Amino acid sequence: MTLLTEVGTLDVLEAEAVHVIRECAAECERPVLLFSGGKDSIVLAHLAVKAFAPAGLPFPLMHVDTGHNFQEVIDYRDQFVARIDERLIVASVQDSIDQGRVQDETGPRASRNRLQTTTLLDAIAEHRFDAAFGGARRDEERSRAKERFFSHRDAFGQWDPRNQRPEPWTIYNTKLKAGEHFRVFPLSNWTEIDIWAYIGREGLSLPSIYFAHQREVFERDGMLLAVDDHIERYSHEQTFTETVRFRTVGDMTCTGSIRSTATTVAEVLAETRASDVSERGASRADDKTSEAAMEDRKRNGYF
Amino acid sequence: MAATLHVVAVGSVDDGKSTLIGRLLHDTGHLRGDEIEAVAEASRKRGRKGIDLALLTDGLRAEREQGITIDVAYRSFDADGRRILLGDAPGHVQYTRNMVTAAAGADAAILLVDAKSGTTPQTRRHLALCAMLGVRDVVACINKIDLVDYSQARFDEIAAELRAAAAAVDGPRITAIPLSALNGVNVVERSPETPWYDGPSVLEVLRDLDQPIVETAFRMPVQWVIRHDDGVNDIRGLAGRIDSGSVSVGDEIIALPSGVTSRIARIEVLGEERAAASAPLSVTLHLEDDVDVARGDVISTVTNAPQVATRFRATVAWLDEQPLTAPMRLEARQGARTVPVIVEELHERLELDTMLQVAADQLDVNDIGIVNVLAASPMVIEPYAISRGMGSLVLIDPATNRTVAAVMVDEVLAGL
Ligand SMILES: Nc1nc2c(ncn2[C@@H]2O[C@H](COP(=O)(O)OP(=O)(O)OP(=O)(O)O)[C@@H](O)[C@H]2O)c(=O)[nH]1
Ligand SMILES: [Mg+2]
Repeated sequence: MTLLTEVGTLDVLEAEAVHVIRECAAECERPVLLFSGGKDSIVLAHLAVKAFAPAGLPFPLMHVDTGHNFQEVIDYRDQFVARIDERLIVASVQDSIDQGRVQDETGPRASRNRLQTTTLLDAIAEHRFDAAFGGARRDEERSRAKERFFSHRDAFGQWDPRNQRPEPWTIYNTKLKAGEHFRVFPLSNWTEIDIWAYIGREGLSLPSIYFAHQREVFERDGMLLAVDDHIERYSHEQTFTETVRFRTVGDMTCTGSIRSTATTVAEVLAETRASDVSERGASRADDKTSEAAMEDRKRNGYF
Repeated sequence: MAATLHVVAVGSVDDGKSTLIGRLLHDTGHLRGDEIEAVAEASRKRGRKGIDLALLTDGLRAEREQGITIDVAYRSFDADGRRILLGDAPGHVQYTRNMVTAAAGADAAILLVDAKSGTTPQTRRHLALCAMLGVRDVVACINKIDLVDYSQARFDEIAAELRAAAAAVDGPRITAIPLSALNGVNVVERSPETPWYDGPSVLEVLRDLDQPIVETAFRMPVQWVIRHDDGVNDIRGLAGRIDSGSVSVGDEIIALPSGVTSRIARIEVLGEERAAASAPLSVTLHLEDDVDVARGDVISTVTNAPQVATRFRATVAWLDEQPLTAPMRLEARQGARTVPVIVEELHERLELDTMLQVAADQLDVNDIGIVNVLAASPMVIEPYAISRGMGSLVLIDPATNRTVAAVMVDEVLAGL
């Protein structure tokens, strides 16, 4: 039939993600979409808007703000939310620190990455959310590769990777007991390349730090970290100016940039295809502490 | 571009599934430098000689400690321009539920058998599960062929055993390959170690697999009704993912189980107006008439519509520690609908040693059997062989919320 447009890989991934988003919205009482202003959550929020258009989203967005974010990302976040005209909840790690729920780390290795878990779980409890959409992909990390679309969390927010619910076909068991919740991952089967190709296809704008720019950086553990008041440097860590971009956007203290001259989506795609380093290898210090670092964080309720 | 194929590696514990997946990704250049270094580092830490490629997908702490796979890992794979989603399933019998998760919806399976130990009941269980789940192609890899001196006789013997087992369960097409996942023999290219073998390598089979069979009858479960009043129009869109077939503006449709009919006025594919749309797209349909359609209803073409029934016979893969005995009250989740059901009767159980159906009064965890199910309210169903979407469901125990069974409808029966 000539009326039918050819269905490509991105169309299938898009349809799958929207199916999962709609299932969750229909079955869960109080979902929330975790929005960091990073490329995956931008794609996720864009898909959610499409899933319910022309009506608005049947759930709010929530940002877990470590207080150590790139200003470009916070600005982008606020513009994005204003443009789609939806509700944003900001859960602040600083508030958790001020309330004595967690303790700020100190020294050059201090990071608020781990502290986010408490803030996130407290916010889920406070707002009685029973499902939190996340933009995680299976290609990011080996414990993520094991996760279901509807990933069950017990009343303590914990993930039990040894006892996940069967998830045959595209049928999701959405039953919960009081206090439990789901983490829902509509982008599970997308790769980093798919995300960039989709951003290009849909003409999505991104925070400027995803493209090559001049920045004052210093090198640590083979990564280029941003020079910023939030990160204490060892005395031997020299700062210098470099043309870089970020492959992921997270807490400043554990997100590295890469040398790059890519200023367009097409150039980023070409660089990413040719790169011999994975996304996490290039940019996340948090996984370098141990080989099960991500699994351990996830078990305790991390994103 | 061809649709993404879903391929799952199955077979008994330790027969080499994870090693093969790692080898395939490694030898085709899918692994980046830091990923290879991380696997090499993990191998050294465990005192392995060389690099243990199984550690690539065995990413959980408990998996690495025990050297077995517990839950399925998914990796995207490009087989010479064809996108494949590879699932690495666990072989251990205790984690059969995770194998079912990975194999449901798969187009093809890579079934590994240890050339030294041969087929086991677990090999046959996985083969039977693939058959009932409708996996069309099985690439049978007689692995660790290096341990039997690359023996053609041993290869032929196991391949014949597998073909017989597959025939017993009306099974899928089998392609047999002598393999050493460890040494990369016949993984990417045909290797000199098996000069007597002139068939394809694993990569070549994956590249040349047939496209998934396309079900042509239009069906779409309604997931969500989009209501929006923009001041001019009060919009009521039926949002869902097309399960099979295609639909065009002007088509006459029926909504089931109610049976109301209307015509398609507009089709939106995520914000874009289209004259037609097909599976597997997520769409919003607008009808000409303001008929009562809600979440859980199925939109279908008027001719050749699925049945509405409360009773059916089905094959079940029982996944829960608590055994199934009839009668048992459970909940069925199918399409976008949840319905209380009673498993009325348990007919048979598949005996894995003989591959014969035997009379049974209980299904234990990981058993496969045949049951009759009675639903509390009408369901829109079809045999699984005709419609994957309308013929598949899961059973949930409402007391524990556990998913206790994957179910495939064999036959729709007359109601009470
Ligand atoms: N000699 C030899 N050993 C192999 C071969 N393939 C795998 N092995 C070894 O067999 C053991 C089990 O391999 P895995 O790949 O973990 O097996 P698996 O099928 O993934 O196991 P489960 O996922 O736990 O069911 C490991 O020690 C491998 O190194 C092979 O071709 N030859
Ligand atoms: Mg394995």
